Amino acid sequence: MAGSDDNGNGVSADRGLVRVRTIIVAGQSSRRTREVLNALSGFNNVIWPKSLESALEQARSADAGCLVIADDLREEPVDEFLQEARELHRNLPIFVITDPDDVAEAVSAMRHGATAVIEIPPSYSTLREEVTRAMQ
Amino acid sequence: MKDLPQTVYVVDDDDAVRNSLKLLLKSAGIAAETAASAQEFLSSYDVSAPGCLVLDVRMPGMSGLEMQHELNLRGAMIPVIFITGHGDIPMAVEAMQHGAFDFLQKPFRDQELLDRVQRALARDAESRSRMRHTDRIRERLASLSPREREVLDLVTQGKANKMVAGDLGVSQRTVEIHRAHVMQKMEAGSLAELVRMMMSVAP
Repeated sequence: MAGSDDNGNGVSADRGLVRVRTIIVAGQSSRRTREVLNALSGFNNVIWPKSLESALEQARSADAGCLVIADDLREEPVDEFLQEARELHRNLPIFVITDPDDVAEAVSAMRHGATAVIEIPPSYSTLREEVTRAMQ
Repeated sequence: MKDLPQTVYVVDDDDAVRNSLKLLLKSAGIAAETAASAQEFLSSYDVSAPGCLVLDVRMPGMSGLEMQHELNLRGAMIPVIFITGHGDIPMAVEAMQHGAFDFLQKPFRDQELLDRVQRALARDAESRSRMRHTDRIRERLASLSPREREVLDLVTQGKANKMVAGDLGVSQRTVEIHRAHVMQKMEAGSLAELVRMMMSVAP
């Protein structure tokens, strides 16, 4: 029987093939997006698409491990982007990064399909833990 | 069956909050009941009662989040609007992950709460209507004979009468008769409607 295992870094071996699930980071070129990318630098499969269309296309892919919405998005509000991503991929873990104490934004993101909302700062460890769990 | 009237339950340990919310809801023509603690509410709450719940997060004894967990264990489908004066993101995320309808920080405007309560009541009515619909379909399914159920399963998989007859080892005429009984008992006007009914009760 073909086995499958996962090293917790989004790499799974299945029928002898190695499949790398990607962590998609969506966000404009801001300090916070770069901080999120730095926080995820321990993962070797992080992609930062250059456009929202591309991020959504990647989210549609079977190899998408999770989507991190790191920052405000230029073209459309986060909630709309989130809803669109959720419609495209119902089971994809989606994490939204918010400013500390912005409870209203966090609640809105959860209502629009976020798996979890993580406030940054104070800690990136929660983000790494959530992403690791999602990739497993 | 006539629906029971919807009630908004306010659970908060603060007398002033309970009383002002009850007055506010009554002024908007909404029936409201209050409880000063989670225990008081849970001791008399009937999960079949329609409405919504306005629930304080921090209370002595059982907290609002613990009470939400207890309601989930009881299978309660009542929409929960959390209110709190000391909310933070992890708390809000936890509440929403466990199915809260909304999470509102104090102080809030009266209209803000009323809007959310109205939405929660609409959601509750919709959920209960959907549940009654699926209950009716399950009752109709239970009225089918074992053979009719087999025919139903095969025709809703898209099989023609001839194929169903082959699968079951009976004549095509027998399948036609069973199929007519199925349509009648399920109160379905077409095969498409029958498929929709089966999808609505699929696990």
